[in-house]
Amino acid sequence: MSNTVTTRGTVTIDIERCKGCELCVPACPPGVLAMSTARNDRGEQYPLLSPGCTGCGACYYVCPDSCFAIYRYDTPLEIEVSI
Amino acid sequence: MTRRFVEGSEAIVDAAILAGCRFFAGYPMTPFTEVLDRMAEKMPTSGGICVNAESELEAVGMAWGALATGARAATGSVGQGLSLMQESFSEITRAELPLVVFNMARGQADYYQSTRGGGHGDYFHIVLCPIDIHEAIEHVQLAFHLADAWRNPVQIYGDYLLAHTAEAVELEPMSFGPLPEKDWALDGSLNGTGRARNVNSIGMMKGEKGIEPEKFWKRLQAKYERIKLEEARHEAEFLDDADYVVTAFGTTAKFVRHVVREMRAEGRRIGYIRPVTLWPFPAQAYRDCATSAKEIGVFELNGGQMIDDVRLSVLGAAPVAALGGISSDESGFGVAPLLNAEIIRSILEDAYVRATGNGAAS
Repeated sequence: MSNTVTTRGTVTIDIERCKGCELCVPACPPGVLAMSTARNDRGEQYPLLSPGCTGCGACYYVCPDSCFAIYRYDTPLEIEVSI
Repeated sequence: MTRRFVEGSEAIVDAAILAGCRFFAGYPMTPFTEVLDRMAEKMPTSGGICVNAESELEAVGMAWGALATGARAATGSVGQGLSLMQESFSEITRAELPLVVFNMARGQADYYQSTRGGGHGDYFHIVLCPIDIHEAIEHVQLAFHLADAWRNPVQIYGDYLLAHTAEAVELEPMSFGPLPEKDWALDGSLNGTGRARNVNSIGMMKGEKGIEPEKFWKRLQAKYERIKLEEARHEAEFLDDADYVVTAFGTTAKFVRHVVREMRAEGRRIGYIRPVTLWPFPAQAYRDCATSAKEIGVFELNGGQMIDDVRLSVLGAAPVAALGGISSDESGFGVAPLLNAEIIRSILEDAYVRATGNGAAS
């Protein structure tokens, strides 16, 4: 079964700079960031993005290490996700 | 000696290891993260230990433990992380332990924090504020010496520019003279052996009954007064006949010094002074230039902090003007739009003409 999620933007995440503080996860209004199970070279888990980003930039502002870059799409995408 | 093109973070770490630092603990935070990264990389092969602590509170606590055994130890962070460490800073200072702190501050707004401290009680840290990586290499080695000589914490106030830019530098070991033996350091001797030692922050001395807070605090205060007399350092250029004197600290001063040199070359009677130690503040040097200058301009990138120390130094002998201000890019890391020689030039020109009444350069 599948569903579509409106996605207005996206982020790039510098996962090697991440120290795993997890501040971005509760800060994300649509709740589309979740911590990885894998670890970076620092030995930390890092955030992963699922469809549904609004490009609001909350993660950018809360990240102590500037790991995020924010992009907004000119036209929102409808991304198909399996449920 | 080999010249190497290195980032400030790496140069600071190399200098620390050269100075005999063998324990480091910290928690990552931009722009301090690279100092911790390089420590983690280089400490194990230098016979030392680097710990990525759970937070800044643990990092400073670990350094405290290492210091108590007589090791040369350091910690660091940015101003935000140093806020968390303030309780331990207060106590470590009263325990008279030679802590070295690498503060890669997010800009210049932590001047008060480094010079006044945010902890409890009467205490001061010596604060060295390098203008560039070359001077940072000297300051890091000096910091470990001063910390041992005075048995007092020493902070290096750096910033994003210092940590993240590279310069060609030579790393040479520096000697600052003999130091007293660390006859207070814990060596594992136990109670009852007659050799047990006690490092504490309440002035409890072996062989004395109880504690005497007033006597203890006055002894520390006398130490701070001696540090004020002996360790205040500054750098100055063109002060002798200067009608206008401008001052700045840290990497910002590099921009200001450049502009002052340009204006001097064009015949402006402008001088430059920089506190090399933020604490103790080189008050006498400022007092001296206030007798001839028509105004002292303070170019700092914050809401106005060092300007208080300048005013307290000149004590009304010359007007003191704020020339800088809050300035930041959107990251908040301290890469300020005002750090631009052309903009600083126009600010200094305006201030010079206003204060001296001399017209624009022909």
